Amino acid sequence: MYIRTSREQLLSDDRSFSLRQVAQRAEIEPAYLSKIERGVFAPPSEEVIVKLAEILGEDKDVLLAMAGKLSSDLQHIIFKRPKLFAELLRQLQEVPDHAVLRVVREVKDGQW
Amino acid sequence: MIELTENKLIIRRPDIHQHAVCEVDFQRTLRIPDDNQSYPLPPGLGRFPLEHVEDHADRLPSQWRKHGGVLLPMYQAEALWVNFNLPKHPDAIVDSYPFALKIATGKVNAVSGKLWSEIPESDPQDYVVLPSQQWLDGYCVQKGLIRQFVSMPLGSEFTAEEQITGEAVYGGIQIIAYPMKREWYEKLEQEAKQSRIDSDDFCVEFMAEAQCVGLGLAAGGLMRQEIYEDEYGIDAWDTTNPSRCFVHILNSEQWKSSTGKSMPTTPLSASDYTDAGLPWFEVDSGDTPNLEGSEILRELDSVATKEIKFGKKVLAENKPLKPSNVFLCTSNRVIDGAW
Repeated sequence: MYIRTSREQLLSDDRSFSLRQVAQRAEIEPAYLSKIERGVFAPPSEEVIVKLAEILGEDKDVLLAMAGKLSSDLQHIIFKRPKLFAELLRQLQEVPDHAVLRVVREVKDGQW
Repeated sequence: MIELTENKLIIRRPDIHQHAVCEVDFQRTLRIPDDNQSYPLPPGLGRFPLEHVEDHADRLPSQWRKHGGVLLPMYQAEALWVNFNLPKHPDAIVDSYPFALKIATGKVNAVSGKLWSEIPESDPQDYVVLPSQQWLDGYCVQKGLIRQFVSMPLGSEFTAEEQITGEAVYGGIQIIAYPMKREWYEKLEQEAKQSRIDSDDFCVEFMAEAQCVGLGLAAGGLMRQEIYEDEYGIDAWDTTNPSRCFVHILNSEQWKSSTGKSMPTTPLSASDYTDAGLPWFEVDSGDTPNLEGSEILRELDSVATKEIKFGKKVLAENKPLKPSNVFLCTSNRVIDGAW
């Protein structure tokens, strides 16, 4: 639904955002795009979502997250050091946005 | 939380207030003569380098890894002072968010001489208050007098830790910071806002476990410096989850072998500095009340006294000096304007 709303908003100003033309630029069938937009099909592959995000000017990570996916570059970062990033993400869970934007390295305090 | 940036420890407490930020760095300075004369303030000769302990964990003793914190290299021929700065937040009305800081060496409090505790004490006051305290050069031994922080090997019986506790266990410097309580700060902001309105109205080898002895700090020469009384009172400070840091002091060999980095340049002697006509400093703090000094710390033997007790010759560096070029300042701050 989100993709459809976004595309139709763009279409109101620019006819190149018709279902057919967007599908063509994303290299998928118009019928398939229509079904994705209506939520009839399960979310498409990461590659298609990234292409749609680029065409519609949306954030690819947001679109991927809405589809319940995580981009492969982020997966790679996490898989490289899973324990560290799992700990970091859990710690950041409750942190407000402005604080998350400024992630810094802390001087470690120990037992003394 | 504490972050390390440009050899400064930056203590941030956004959980209490976005403006609650305090910076601490360690300035290299001259080792003043330890001759029982009192000297003016020596200059700051740049920040000591600092490194995260865990970046060099595989080359450090396990006890140091357990302490965490940072590493600081120091020559015995130099001294150290602790520099405090409270940066002004762009949205703040008042100039700075006040903090109370406890500074200890070898877990002996440098203001009260008492053993380390995690909470601030007001009787006697065992902490310094920022922004009124801009620096701390040594142990508060008497009203208006401190004994300079100088480094000595732990285990040599010179350090304040060994003289007071009889043991050489920790060495280094320990810091704990308490920001002002949010509601107290907001009151200060309210007052500042009001006063603004009012004024408007008017107009090599790795360090093995056995070599785990780092450096501790001992009492050096006497210097004229006031440690100010807490103008806000003990209730002003938020003691929940205070920020702590252990600063391990390394000699040149330990620094090179554990970090692989070279030492800063060798320090100037106080006599070379004075002979060159370079400035010393004296601060006029007016009528600001200051602490009496600790009776415990007053009993410390300075390094020169200890050397005499050990039957050693007094070092040439302790020859008395007469600094002639002494600048009197009312504040250490250079005010930057809009340009």
